[in-house]
Amino acid sequence: MRDAYIVGAGQSKYGAFPDESYRSLFATAFEEALGSAGGVEAADIDEAVVGSLGVGGRQLGLSGPAVTEHVGLHGVPCSRIENACAASGYAVRQAVQAVKSGMADVALAGGYEVMTDMSGDVAKYWLGVSGETEWERLTGTTFAGVYAQMASAYLDAYDASPDHFSKVAVKNHANGAKNPKAHLGFECSLDDARSAPVVADPLNLYHCCPTSDGAAAVLVASEDVASACDDAVRVAGVGAASERVGLFQRDSYTAVESSERAAAAAYEMAGLGPDDVDFAEVHDCFAIAELLAYEDLGLCERGHAPKLVDSGATELGGELPVNPSGGLKSKGHPIGATGAGQVVEAYKQLAGRAGDRQVAGANVGLTHNVGGSGGAAVVHVLEGGAL
Amino acid sequence: MSADGPTRTTLGIAGVGAYVPRLYLPASAYREAWGNGGAPGVERVAVADADEDTLTMATEAGQRALRAAGVDAGDIDHLALATTTPPNDEEESAVRLASLLGVGPSVPTRQFSGSTRAGAVALAATSEATQNVGDGASSPALVVVADSPRGAPESDEAAGAGAGAAALVLAEDGPLVVDAVGEFGDPAPGTRFREFGSAETESIGVTQYERDAYTRAVAGAVEALGVDAAELDPDAVALTAPDGKLPYRAANALGVEPARIAAGSVVSRTGDAGAAGPFLGLASALDSAGDAGGDESDGQSPATSVLLVGYGGGAGATALVLSTGVSDAASAASATSATSAVPVEAALDGDVELTYAEALRRRGTITGEEPAGGGAYVSVPAWKRTIPQRHRLVAGECTECGALSFPPEGACAECGALAEYDDVTLPGTGTVEAATAIGQGGAPPEFVEQQQRAGSFPVAVVAFDGPGGEGGEADGRAVSAPAQVVHSPAGTPAIGDRVGAVPRRIYEQEGVVRYGFKVVPIAARR
Repeated sequence: MRDAYIVGAGQSKYGAFPDESYRSLFATAFEEALGSAGGVEAADIDEAVVGSLGVGGRQLGLSGPAVTEHVGLHGVPCSRIENACAASGYAVRQAVQAVKSGMADVALAGGYEVMTDMSGDVAKYWLGVSGETEWERLTGTTFAGVYAQMASAYLDAYDASPDHFSKVAVKNHANGAKNPKAHLGFECSLDDARSAPVVADPLNLYHCCPTSDGAAAVLVASEDVASACDDAVRVAGVGAASERVGLFQRDSYTAVESSERAAAAAYEMAGLGPDDVDFAEVHDCFAIAELLAYEDLGLCERGHAPKLVDSGATELGGELPVNPSGGLKSKGHPIGATGAGQVVEAYKQLAGRAGDRQVAGANVGLTHNVGGSGGAAVVHVLEGGAL
Repeated sequence: MSADGPTRTTLGIAGVGAYVPRLYLPASAYREAWGNGGAPGVERVAVADADEDTLTMATEAGQRALRAAGVDAGDIDHLALATTTPPNDEEESAVRLASLLGVGPSVPTRQFSGSTRAGAVALAATSEATQNVGDGASSPALVVVADSPRGAPESDEAAGAGAGAAALVLAEDGPLVVDAVGEFGDPAPGTRFREFGSAETESIGVTQYERDAYTRAVAGAVEALGVDAAELDPDAVALTAPDGKLPYRAANALGVEPARIAAGSVVSRTGDAGAAGPFLGLASALDSAGDAGGDESDGQSPATSVLLVGYGGGAGATALVLSTGVSDAASAASATSATSAVPVEAALDGDVELTYAEALRRRGTITGEEPAGGGAYVSVPAWKRTIPQRHRLVAGECTECGALSFPPEGACAECGALAEYDDVTLPGTGTVEAATAIGQGGAPPEFVEQQQRAGSFPVAVVAFDGPGGEGGEADGRAVSAPAQVVHSPAGTPAIGDRVGAVPRRIYEQEGVVRYGFKVVPIAARR
């Protein structure tokens, strides 16, 4: 199969925007993506795949055509993927498949969500709809509770403490403070992160990402198209995998098997391994999730994530920066937009367009997007300077 | 006993279970809040937790009675539930109770309500219904009495309102039989009543009128027994006890010593447990008699007779003589000495003290309802499909590889086969594998009210033991399921903690309470 390239990518600011609709946010992201590409026009787009968790109930059906028609992609086939928080990571994967298969020369992938203009209870409802409903949720847990259970198992299994969760928050906020698109773009101290109110023991508020409004868009194109663009990032590897939706149904609570499988598949396709990765955007919906991601993605051995955090290697300027964008924790988490937004960050890093948070010498980047507590995972290995 | 002619077999009490919630409000806290008052003779009142009601308490008592009697729920052939405070005014709770206990679907269920004498009526009716004339074997019956009365916050009824449940297994070899039944009814309106549609019991508050109605009905029912109470000299007299003083007012009329009434009463420790009151008293009398048995003179059987009287406002009373003998003079001589103590498993005393404000929160007096915005929607039919799992922890054993699945549906997690499952009922014990405690703001909307009532709640993933028992290692199998953890004094339970399943209200939606299991740390289990 032929190669596929990310030739343009953009996102709206993530945050709380009572004056915006999901369509207007998507338009902002789309325009930035198109503007970043050079050499591709809207009329070149053959196919669109977008991700959303039903826009928080506002548009459960056909929100895909609603956004593409809104931005003038009249008539372009658009399908919407629902894979909870991994929806638009999977949308990118679908766009890559469309291009690699030859069915499309230019495919648009994206995502959007509006979460902040509803009451906290309604938001909690929507955050909870992707969990295992009949058993897991009906014990009174949303995802905070399920990830907290994973955290408890991790703390029990390995030499780790809640301080490691706090350190992840401090790191990601430090990065997000350098990202003008971040929802919570401020720095936090270790004391702030340690002393926040408990949401689900052992996770406190600083160990949990916010819910955000936002949209992201990525243009995936064939080599022919890519060669005419300003920057082209090769999609070296894609991997995706599913897992049982309820935590209690799984073989392990201290590893996310879908992430492991997705990463293994992406590395294999890329012919690369964890050692080749210069930076990673990982799915840190909760701080424990980032620690698990280090291990699931092979960035360190099982049980060594706390050491990796302690070493400073995953900070910006470290050996292997993780979440230079600020991650879900600081940049924000507009559910359906998150996965595509990670690819936006990877594109910017690999194109040398990441500004103050630029990872020096970034050539290989990895994105890792998880749905729910691991029911779906998708990993992209992206390579800059290939054309 | 002679085998000549048709024999009449009356089932006897073969096991007693009692469950009183572990939360309690001391009378001192009530007095502090109101500046005076409190129910006479009541030291503390039991308070049902936010996820408890008469049905969960009935299940807890029923499980204890079955264990005490050594009878399997599947062998029960008649189930009676008595309560003045069923979770719903209409919709039979006894059917759900049968399911929660594991009593079979073709077993007659009878529900008694409408008066605090309902428990006594249920026992009399069950004893009558299960009498076996002829030489056929009689199957055991279960009588469960549970109540959780309420009153308006400022009322005497609220001051004394307690909670509790008791259950009796009746079986052929049960040592304590219903020997005589006496009934009395005489209109005394306004003495204890609840208006249609109201959750609050009240009375008109004419003190002497109400005392007289009580004394007259109790004495009348005892008189109707045709047995002289003084001559009967029961070891204990267990009376409906709206407060801790009223039963003693009946002592004179009955001609029994106040000590006998004390022996059959726990109202000072539980508050007004409505219909369950005299049955909790019975459990206590049989339990303490059993405990004290070793100190008694040799050869004396404990608690050979109890006089139990259920009184209900309005007014009526039902009196039962429970004895190890039979009233029939011809067989009395042969039925005396071969008795043994009735086994009792009772959790009568609370161990978690509440403030008055906490008690109001637990009862839902000052908390809201499920917030707008919608909870997770699990339709009632979808919930119904999982009732064997929710009520009785029925897991599935893969017919391909033998691994356990919970719930038993979909592909086997072990071998991946989309095979059939054989039902396997788990014993309910297990080990915590992962745990959290959901803080304020962390609960989904349908659990917000529970959190308002009872605060932060722990949730664990539990590796439930396979049918082989503890650790799952016994037969190499365990199966995981998530569960809320009730009464975890240390907050979030530790991984590796042992827990056991308990019946609880999970949540309420569309006016339908969903019952299921939670777990309690074994170390904190009563």
